[in-house]
Amino acid sequence: MVEAVCGACCQEKEDSFKAPQRAAMMPDLRAIKADWNFIMKNGDGWRDHLAVALNSIQDSIGRFSPSGKMGISGLLLIVFIAIFAPFVTFYEPSAISGMSLEPPGPEHILGTDELGMDIWSQICYGARMSLLIGLAVAMISGLGGGFLGLMAGYMGGNWDRALLRTIDITMALPSFPLLIVIAAFLNPSILNVMLVLVFLSWAKPARVVRSQALAMKKQQYIISARLHGAGPVYIIRRHIMPEALPLIFVSILNISSYAIVAESGLAFLGLGDPTSKSWGMMLHYATSFRSIYFTPYWQWWLMPPLIALIFLLLCLAFIGRDMERIVDPRLRSRGGQ
Amino acid sequence: MSLLEIRGLFIDYYSDRDAFRAVDDLNLTLERGEVIGLAGESGSGKTTLGLAIMGLLPDNVRSSGSILFQGEDLVAMQDSDKDRIRWRHIAMVFQNSLEVLNPVIRMVDQVSEPMIEHLGLGKEQARARCVRLFEQVGLDSVWLDAYPHQLSGGMRQRALLAMALSCDPDILILDEVTSALDAFTKKEISDLLCRLQKTADCSMILISHDITFLSAVSTRMAVLYAGRIMELGATSEIINYPMHPYTRGLINSTPGIFLYRDLWGIPGEAPSGQVRGCPFFGRCTQRVDLCSRQPPRLLPVRVPASAEGMTVGSSERDVACHLGGVVTLLRASGLNYSYRLSDGKLLDAVKDVSLDLREGEVMAVVGQTGSGKSTLAHMLAGVMGSDVGEIFFDGKKMNGDRYGSGYGGIQIVFQDPASSTSSRLSVLDAVKEPLDINGLHSPRERIELVASALSSVGLPTTDEFLRRHCGELSGGQRQRVAIARALIMRPKLLIADEITASLDVSSAANILRMLKGLQNCRGFAMIYITHDLMIALKASDRIAVMDGGRIIETGNSHYVMLYPRQEATKRLVGARIHKSSGGNCI
Repeated sequence: MVEAVCGACCQEKEDSFKAPQRAAMMPDLRAIKADWNFIMKNGDGWRDHLAVALNSIQDSIGRFSPSGKMGISGLLLIVFIAIFAPFVTFYEPSAISGMSLEPPGPEHILGTDELGMDIWSQICYGARMSLLIGLAVAMISGLGGGFLGLMAGYMGGNWDRALLRTIDITMALPSFPLLIVIAAFLNPSILNVMLVLVFLSWAKPARVVRSQALAMKKQQYIISARLHGAGPVYIIRRHIMPEALPLIFVSILNISSYAIVAESGLAFLGLGDPTSKSWGMMLHYATSFRSIYFTPYWQWWLMPPLIALIFLLLCLAFIGRDMERIVDPRLRSRGGQ
Repeated sequence: MSLLEIRGLFIDYYSDRDAFRAVDDLNLTLERGEVIGLAGESGSGKTTLGLAIMGLLPDNVRSSGSILFQGEDLVAMQDSDKDRIRWRHIAMVFQNSLEVLNPVIRMVDQVSEPMIEHLGLGKEQARARCVRLFEQVGLDSVWLDAYPHQLSGGMRQRALLAMALSCDPDILILDEVTSALDAFTKKEISDLLCRLQKTADCSMILISHDITFLSAVSTRMAVLYAGRIMELGATSEIINYPMHPYTRGLINSTPGIFLYRDLWGIPGEAPSGQVRGCPFFGRCTQRVDLCSRQPPRLLPVRVPASAEGMTVGSSERDVACHLGGVVTLLRASGLNYSYRLSDGKLLDAVKDVSLDLREGEVMAVVGQTGSGKSTLAHMLAGVMGSDVGEIFFDGKKMNGDRYGSGYGGIQIVFQDPASSTSSRLSVLDAVKEPLDINGLHSPRERIELVASALSSVGLPTTDEFLRRHCGELSGGQRQRVAIARALIMRPKLLIADEITASLDVSSAANILRMLKGLQNCRGFAMIYITHDLMIALKASDRIAVMDGGRIIETGNSHYVMLYPRQEATKRLVGARIHKSSGGNCI
C-alpha cells in the first residue's frame, strides 16, 4: 500500500512540479502511521463526520427552491410506494387477478393488462425496480468514480494521467448504442444491466472530484496540515472529502436519472430482464400489443408507466438542479451566511 | 602593563538578613588612552564597579579579587593610600549632580579643593587653573563664583567634570553623566568627552545605560548583567552585530540607534537572588539545560565572517554564553528553484540564495512582486524542496523533513486569509489541528492550549467563538487564527509570508504589533516576507532585499534604509511616497 502510494506521487508531472516538490509531497511512512494512529484514537471522528454531513444536508434542503422541494416530496412519495408496495396494492403484480384488458374501475383502479394483471400493482412494484437500479448504479459509480478521482487528483502522477485518459475514452463512447450492443450480447439480467450502466457512468463523477481534489491540494490550509505532518489519509478524510461529497451527491442524482432512463430504454427495446416487472418492461409489453393505439387500452396500459417514469425523472431533475445550484462554490459562498 | 586591570572581582552587599552579589567574577582591563563603556540595565553592577575602582564602596560591602592600578592593588590598599590615588590618578564624575556638590560653597572653591589637596597648589594658582578647566569643559568663568543651585543641570555636570579633571587624572570614571540631561546638552557633553579624550589623553570608563551615548564616545564596550560581563568587544561592532542575547535585547530597547525600528524591551526581570547558572537564564530565548546549572565564562568567540557591518578579521569579541553567543538557527546555502512554464522554459524564481538567521532574530525579506520572496519562504518552510542547495535548521540538515510536525520547529503563516484556514472547520478545530495530527496532549489539554493560543493572538476564547466556523470570521481574525495555529506548535522559527498584505491598514498594524510583541516575549526567530519596506523597517532586525530571485543586499535594517548600495534597494527606498513631495503634482 505504502509503495503504491509513494509510486503514485513520485510521478507527479501534471502540474509541472519538479523533483524537490515531489519529494516534499511524498507521504512518508511516518505520516501514514501517524494517520493510522489518529484514526485509531479518534474513532468517534466518523460520527462527528456523519453529524456534519447530516447538518449540511439539512442546510441544503433549507435552501431548496419550491420546485426542488416538490421534487423531494415526489421522490419521497415514490420511495414510499416502492417500499410499502404490498400494503398499497391489492394484488400480486404477476397474479392474474381479473379479466384481460379491464378498464380502470373499483376492482382494478388502473385496470389490467392483456394477461389480466393489475396495472397499479405493476406500477408500484415496478417503482422498486427503477429505484433499485437507479440508486445502485448511481451509488456504485458515483462513490467509486468519486473515490478514483479523489485518489488520482490528490496523488497525481501516472495514476492521474491513466485515469484521465480512461475518463476521456469512457466519455467519448456513444453510451446508448454501446449499451444496446452490450446488453444484447450479455444475458439480459438485472445485474448485467447494472454493470453496464456503472461502466458507462463512473467517469463524470471521477472527473469532477478529481478537479476538485487538484484545486484543493494547493489550498494553504492543506499545505499547512501537510507541514504539520498530516498524511494523505488524514488530509483526504478531513479536508478534501467533506468538500467533494456534495459534488458526488449531485453526480449520484444525475446518474440515477440516467440509469433509470437507460434501464427503461433497454427494457422498452426488449433487452431488459423479461421476468422483471419494471416500468420499461410494461412499456415494452404495451407497445408490443398489436395495434394498441387503435384501441382504448393504451389509456390505462401505456400511460401509467410513462407518467410514472416522467414524474420520477422530473423529481430527480428538480432536485439535481437545486443541488447543483447549492454546491456551486460561487453561489454557495453567498448563501453560506 | 595595563593601566587598570580588574581580576576576579567579587563584591557583595550585606544587609541584616542576606547578601546581594553586585559584581560577580569580573575581569576587565583598561589600556592607557582607551575609552571603555559599561552598559547594562539598572542594577547590573555598573556603578558599584565604578565605586570599587574609586575605593568608595560603603561599609556593608565585602569585596575580593583585585583591581590593579599600575600594578598596585586597590582592593587591598589602606584608606590613606587610596586617598593618594583618588582624584590624583583616578577621578569620578558622579551622576546626581545637585547632591554631590555642597550647596553653601562656591563653585570655584569646590573645584579647587582637590587641586589644593593633591597638587599642593596655592589658592590663586588653583583659581587660575579653574578658569582654564571651565574653558575646557565649556563653562563661562562668570560661574566660578556662583553657588551650585544657581547652575543648570548641564552646567553642574560640566562643573563636576571640571572638578574631576582638575588633577589631570589617568582614569576618568563617568557615571551616568548624561542620563538626566536633554538631548542637546547630552550631545555637547559627548562631544566634549571626545575632545577631552583626544587632548587630555586620559582613559575613561563610561558607565551608562544609554547605548547611544556609549556608541558616540567609547571605543570598547562591556555589557554587564547581574554583575557579570556578558559581552566585551569594540563598541561599533557590538552594536552592529551583538553576539549575546542580552546585548541584542539591550540594543533593541535603545531608541536612536536604529531610527526606524520600534522599541521592544527585554521581557522579564533580572534575577533578584543568587543564581547557580547563567544569570540571564530566565530571560534568554535560547537557553539549554546547562545554562541553569553552571555560569558561563567570558570567552573569546569568533564573529562569523558573514556578519554584516564587520570588517573581517578585526573583531575581538568575548561572550559569556555556553552556546558561544546567539546561535545560528537557520542556515541556507546555494538555494535554487525554477518553475517550468507552460512553454517548457524554466523560470528561475530563486537563484543562489544563501542566508543565515540567528536565534530570536527577525529578518525581513523585501522585494518587488515576483522577486522570489514567497518561493524562498516556501522552500525554507519545507512546502517545497530546493533544486540545489541545502538548508540547516537548528544544526540539522533538512531533507524534505517536516519541521512543523513537532514543537520547536518551523511554522509558516500564509498570505491569503481566506485560504489560510478551512472555512468549514470551527475555530477550535482549525487551531487544534496540528495537535490532533501529531497526537500531542490529551483532548482536554488541547482545548486549553487552543484557548491560550487564541488569547495570545488577541482573540476571544468563549465557547461561542471556538465553535464559530472560520468562514464566518473577518480577514484579520482569520489571519490571527492562522497565527494561533502556528504558535500552538511553539515554533523556533515563524515564517510570515505577506500575512498582512490583504488586510486593511488598521488590522494589518494590529496584527503586526501583536506578532512582534509575541516574538519579543517568546523569543522565536521570524522571517517576515513583505513588499513593504516601511513595515520591514519597523519590525525587523535585519533586512534581505531580493530582486530577480537573488538576495542582492542584506544588512542591519537601519543601514540598508539609510545607505542602500544596490540599484534595486535604492528603488525600493525611493518608492516610498512622501506626503510632502505629493504637492508637486499639482
